[in-house]
Amino acid sequence: MTSRTRHLFPVIAFLAAASLFAPLGIQAQTNANQASTAAHGDRWLHVRVISTDSKGETVKVNVPLELAEKVLPAIDHDRLHNGKVRIGCMDCDGVDVRTVFEAVRTAKDGEFVTVQSNDADISVTKKNGQMLVHVHNKKKSKDAQIEVKVPMKVVEALLSGSKDELDIVAGLHALAGQGDVELVSVKDDENTIRVWLDSKNVTD
Amino acid sequence: MVLLAKIALGFGATVVMAGAYTFREGLLRVDVDESRTNGSHVHVWLPAAVVPMAIHFVPGRKLEEAGVRAGKFMPLVHALAKELQKYPEAELVEVQDGEQHVHIRTHNGTLLIDAEEPGQTVHVACPLATIDDVSRELAAFAPAS
Repeated sequence: MTSRTRHLFPVIAFLAAASLFAPLGIQAQTNANQASTAAHGDRWLHVRVISTDSKGETVKVNVPLELAEKVLPAIDHDRLHNGKVRIGCMDCDGVDVRTVFEAVRTAKDGEFVTVQSNDADISVTKKNGQMLVHVHNKKKSKDAQIEVKVPMKVVEALLSGSKDELDIVAGLHALAGQGDVELVSVKDDENTIRVWLDSKNVTD
Repeated sequence: MVLLAKIALGFGATVVMAGAYTFREGLLRVDVDESRTNGSHVHVWLPAAVVPMAIHFVPGRKLEEAGVRAGKFMPLVHALAKELQKYPEAELVEVQDGEQHVHIRTHNGTLLIDAEEPGQTVHVACPLATIDDVSRELAAFAPAS
């Protein structure tokens, strides 16, 4: 080895070592790019349960809808098969749920049910393609409220399967097409429960 | 002297290369600590890349047993791990109940599960790619349904 190559040897060794790590760096960068691309436009379903008791229980669940859509068909347990739930009462006590839904879907917007009693006020309304259920429980407290918002397209997708089945995957797919929406809100003296949909993978 | 330096450099480069290859998929970590008397303390730190390789050295009979017990869940685990890889940074579940705390999230493509309660803590970190590989291997041993 000449003195010139001897001086170059550490440089060559360094470059060789650097080249070993280069693919790792590139791979990491590629993964990061894929991650940011995948994150773009994702829809997340969030569940929050906050208890106001002394223990201060909180439950926070964040689920990407696309993940749920892909994973549900892999579950084969009890009544859940291939992303569909078999329910035995689509014709409950002589009431055909599909026919009722079809009637509601084609009906004009309006307040369908109003119940006012000493215990609770209940209303069921159809507005802008959404079914809204509002319950004010007078027994619990002044602010005890339950609000449920169900997009009609989601119900339609849920009922798109065969008879006696709810197509959960189709329902989730339809839900992903909705804008940011609060689906369930329950407030009373003991608990606050929220279920909502948005594009953020982190919350408060 | 120069020859020794070359050997040392070659050895060092080999160690670095082997280390980089072994740790390229991150670490599989399991830490269990019980703070009571005679409580267990389990700390397992493994390069994740060796786990799929190690499966090939497990006796076939044992893998078949594992396949029978866990195989039917492996398609679910595989689907979950595969999909979660699209979310390398995500807060999935957090439950706080008094002094009990459970936290499940992904960070840098690793699934992190932390569970804490008075007297006991469990921390598990496993790269999602490793879960994906292992679930695929075990699914192959599941009995045909």
